[in-house]
Amino acid sequence: MRTIRILALLLLLAPLPARSLSQEETDRVIRKIDEMERSGGDYKALVYMEAKEKDKTDVVYELLAYRRSGDQKLMFLFLEPKTEAGKGYLRLEKNLWFYDPRVGRWERRTERERIGGTDTRRGDLDESRLAEEFTAKWEADEKLGKFEVHRILLTVRPGVDVAFPTVRLWVNKENGVVLKRQELALSGRLMRTGYFPRWKKVWSESKKGEVWYAEEMRYYDEVEKANQTLLLVKSVDTRPLETNLFTKAWLESKSR
Amino acid sequence: MIATDLFIAARNLARHTRRNLLLASAIGGVTAMLVLLGGLTTGMREAMLHSATTLMTGHVNLAGFFKITSGTAAPIVAGWEKPWDAVKDRIPELDYMAPRGRGWAKAVADGGSMDLVLAGVELSREPGFHKVIQVVDGSLEELGKPGTILLFQDQAKRLGVKPGDTLTLSAPTTRGASNTADVRVAAVARNIGLLSAFNAFIPADTLRQLYQLKAGTTGAVQIYLKDPADSAKVAARLRAALRDAGWRVMDPDPQPYWQKLMFKVNAEDWTGQKLDVTTWEDEMSFLSWIVTAVTWLGNVLVTVLMVIVAVGIVNTLAIAIRERTREIGTLRAIGMQRTQVLRLTLLEAFLLGLGGAVAGALLGAAVGAGLNGAGIELPETMQYFLLQRNLHLAIHPGQVAVYVAFVTALTTVAASWPSAYAARMRPVTAMHHVG
Repeated sequence: MRTIRILALLLLLAPLPARSLSQEETDRVIRKIDEMERSGGDYKALVYMEAKEKDKTDVVYELLAYRRSGDQKLMFLFLEPKTEAGKGYLRLEKNLWFYDPRVGRWERRTERERIGGTDTRRGDLDESRLAEEFTAKWEADEKLGKFEVHRILLTVRPGVDVAFPTVRLWVNKENGVVLKRQELALSGRLMRTGYFPRWKKVWSESKKGEVWYAEEMRYYDEVEKANQTLLLVKSVDTRPLETNLFTKAWLESKSR
Repeated sequence: MIATDLFIAARNLARHTRRNLLLASAIGGVTAMLVLLGGLTTGMREAMLHSATTLMTGHVNLAGFFKITSGTAAPIVAGWEKPWDAVKDRIPELDYMAPRGRGWAKAVADGGSMDLVLAGVELSREPGFHKVIQVVDGSLEELGKPGTILLFQDQAKRLGVKPGDTLTLSAPTTRGASNTADVRVAAVARNIGLLSAFNAFIPADTLRQLYQLKAGTTGAVQIYLKDPADSAKVAARLRAALRDAGWRVMDPDPQPYWQKLMFKVNAEDWTGQKLDVTTWEDEMSFLSWIVTAVTWLGNVLVTVLMVIVAVGIVNTLAIAIRERTREIGTLRAIGMQRTQVLRLTLLEAFLLGLGGAVAGALLGAAVGAGLNGAGIELPETMQYFLLQRNLHLAIHPGQVAVYVAFVTALTTVAASWPSAYAARMRPVTAMHHVG
């Protein structure tokens, strides 16, 4: 009898196994990420991008990132270093264009392009569209450092083109921000790991709410282990931009 | 009559042995230089043809681009057997053909990483491959197994790998999704100049797997002809035949496929499949400047030398004619016509030119054969640009005969002015000439 009582007590004291998220709850977590990061209008930020590559000198890029939610427009204008100044990317109707003022020519590039030849992708600075592009599956609830997180596996939806067809996210249970992101190739190989240690929010008049953004992003190349990229997002501004901003002519004028 | 004139001309030349030998030596030197420079540029061109048509291109390529969206192009021919079946009977010059996958990937090993242009090969269909690729470590047959790669010496050194080691190939698929393939180094081959700096070979199936392509997809159908000189003619015929069969065919553009992919095709507003028929010269146009530069450099050098020799010939013949003024006057007095005098002096120049040019050509050919026999290994930087590991001069008899004819003709033409001067002399004046 005593043994049974001890066993019952132990059972009561033992930590309960983590409850798995239902599919609906998982989808809600993903939709919340998209919603938190959605600017709901115009967005402008100054981005510092430090690229470290094996056997190469570290390069620090400075660029302006512009977004317009309505028609998914996106533009990057490089300011530094001098050799890159004036170069830019412009997305118009699902086409990503690259402009190099030295040759004065526009080239169409894939949306999965490595920005400036670094490990940064267009998606790293674009609005989050996880729910639209991926199907989500809850994997586990666990601790990431001191944070309680959901670990969620995302698989690309059929017919959608993304750079990494499988993504694993570690989402902070408390506030819903992504703390870690693993990106896998079609072969299943881990290609890149991203850490997002600092998040900030800014008020958006057009959204009538707060826009969350990762102020610091650290990407580690998992194939070429020595390569890594640090992104710092500063001076985020959600006020309306000029209407004619997302045009080739505007970018060319800034490149002169 | 001509035999007599030739005999007299030869005897006149023999009377001034030292002067004419010097002049003949100069003519011979230029001819030898011409033969050697011609051998070098022909050797480069042949080496380029030989190595390029194994490493990168067929003599003619039935290739193309597929665009999923107007901004995303891939250098592939989907269902290549259909267009091939439509045109294969139109190529009586065909020796053999081989489908070859085209791709690009980053190769990553523990020792380093580098970008590689990948060719997906089916060894059983490529009889020329074994002739060009010289394996220094590992086995070429291993490349027939899936998940393998053939690297060249410098690539293996840079990546720090040897046969049996594994490296990762990382590339975006045609839809832009990242993919990787782990491949085992099957063999390491001897470098073949610039082209082996960035080309590597993997089995066609492994390439298709990396790019997520269907079985009937390839990069290009590489067509090898019995005579590569027919390339342009066959390419034009294929374009017309493919258009007639209803395929969309790109206009001829002498650029390699990767330049079209990077700078042209992505900027064009079309989707789906377009075929592109190219020759090996189109695909190698990014290197043809080297051959052109060497050819022009040689031409400039030979032209300068030829001008110097021509001035020497004019001067020497002018002196000879001046020395022989009384002799010419006597010949004219006993009935020799002006045209005969002209012919005689021109024949002398012709014989001098021919003798010098033949001797020079023989010397050039002998030196060329000696250099080829010595198997001189070129410095690494020169290997890159001359597309050869060992110095090889391609000296062909037909080409040498052209050089001899050219130098002889030039010598004869250079002699026309002093010869005309000799023919214009009045017999009385010439006979009274003192000195």
